[in-house]
Amino acid sequence: MTDIKQRSIDLKPEEITKKDVAIAWLRFYFANEISHSFDRYLAGALMWALMPILKKLYKNRSDLAAAYQRHLLFFNTQLTWGGGTITGIMSSLEAVRANENYEGKPISIDDDLLYNTKAGLMGALAGIGDAIDSGTVQYIFIAIALPWAQQGLAIGALFPFVAFVCYQLAVGYYFSQLGFKLGRNAATEVVGAKMQMLIEGLAILGLFMMGILAASYIKVNSGLQFTLSGKNFVIQETLDKILPGILPLIVVGGLYVYFAKKGLKVTNALIGLTVILGVLAAIGIL
Amino acid sequence: MHVTFLQATIIAIWIALVMSRSLLGGATLTLRFSPMMTGLVVGIVFNDISQAMIVTAAIQLIYMGVFSPGGQMPSEPAVATAIAVPVAILGNMSPASAVGVAVPVGLLGSYLYQFRFFINTFIMQKFTDKYAAAGNSHGLTLSLIFIPIVASFVLYVPFMFAALYYGAPFIADLIKTNSSSFIFHILNVIGGGLAAVGIAVTVYVIGKRSYIIFFLLAYFVAVVAKPLNITMVTYAIIGAIIAFIFVLAKSEAVTTAKDSIGSNKSGSHANVDDDDY
Repeated sequence: MTDIKQRSIDLKPEEITKKDVAIAWLRFYFANEISHSFDRYLAGALMWALMPILKKLYKNRSDLAAAYQRHLLFFNTQLTWGGGTITGIMSSLEAVRANENYEGKPISIDDDLLYNTKAGLMGALAGIGDAIDSGTVQYIFIAIALPWAQQGLAIGALFPFVAFVCYQLAVGYYFSQLGFKLGRNAATEVVGAKMQMLIEGLAILGLFMMGILAASYIKVNSGLQFTLSGKNFVIQETLDKILPGILPLIVVGGLYVYFAKKGLKVTNALIGLTVILGVLAAIGIL
Repeated sequence: MHVTFLQATIIAIWIALVMSRSLLGGATLTLRFSPMMTGLVVGIVFNDISQAMIVTAAIQLIYMGVFSPGGQMPSEPAVATAIAVPVAILGNMSPASAVGVAVPVGLLGSYLYQFRFFINTFIMQKFTDKYAAAGNSHGLTLSLIFIPIVASFVLYVPFMFAALYYGAPFIADLIKTNSSSFIFHILNVIGGGLAAVGIAVTVYVIGKRSYIIFFLLAYFVAVVAKPLNITMVTYAIIGAIIAFIFVLAKSEAVTTAKDSIGSNKSGSHANVDDDDY
């Protein structure tokens, strides 16, 4: 204790509160992709998010500069799951480090540990987060609103936007607080059993909605008809008698198999399908 | 038919706000990946919200599931929409044939976004490192927030303005003068079928191959129930209930199995179950 009192009281790290972490999360949400660059991706956003916290922790200018610099190394993750959790974890680890630094103890949270924590989590959390947020939740909202848009209503655009932004802010806030509270242990919670169940449930709901959309909005009909021994055959009518909706399903199934075999090559799929449909339409099969 | 100076300017600024990723920050994720809000803005600017939303819904279908692990996308839905919807409104095109305009524009748009990364890389190396080493917080905000936003505006506003002011009426006229039913038939078939791409991508991304059974279930339910005009909200509720039942049954099965293996550990399992939400 006496040792601490001898040091300048101005240099003592301030305590980091839940509110500070909430602000850091909102700053990450805002700065997220603005400074996205080829070599460091989102490092600038994370650093900018942590800035007020780092300023509270490191009152010495050279310590602060060092903190800024160590958060500018390559960093890339998904916004809410990755960004939220890692913003929280970094806040808690930096607070521990700043206090060790101030009290003159050996630093247990060194640069390597900070970076390895980030690097170890960013990919795994991004994988979950991208699939859940961008790939599933966003499209559940859009699927619900699509019929409104098709009727020409503005709510078709406003509902998915507002709902998704609220979802992002809430999820990121939850994970940033979780990361702050549990530190590095938060990772096990985020990928834990209960979260796994939630993820599975969302995946099922997402797939279900895609099935509804596929049936409602993919329009592939055969225009082919021919006369055979005096009888007129309309191919689409025959198909509808056997299995209604078979053609759109074949198209989606074909694309899925293509992605499963060749990886997610969306541009190739778009161009390839455009050519195939264009040719089939031109020769009158579709 | 033409686009006014003001209309082109407003839409160009909107796209710059989205593509610089500065409009509410993370909210630009859905603004960029989904054409919906851009379609609405175009509708307001051209004073035809209804037609704009109908066209945008068709464009949305091809861009379902398109998002960017790692930040790079094969296509830019917002950019595509900002051009294709005005073209469709000016040229009185069907939503499906507007998709034919959106796809190539979207592909072009993705190169522009790559260029943004290049500019940001330069900004970071030139300014951010210097300010970080000096512990200069204001300088960091300048180089991480303000300069990248200004750079993106310089990149996107003139490009989008020119494309809208000169390009959109040109494409619309071109389509009008060549409006043989043959070409429109092809465009309509392509537009109607391309919706499959977005859905297939989403199904692929959501993953778990065995869960595709839920996709098939929904597909045939929707095909059969088409005459009933069931709303999407109703379908979403049904889907949520099915998902809940499945997860519930699965977790019960796991718990029962665990309990029967080690009864001495059952206390802790009961705890796990109790705080379910």
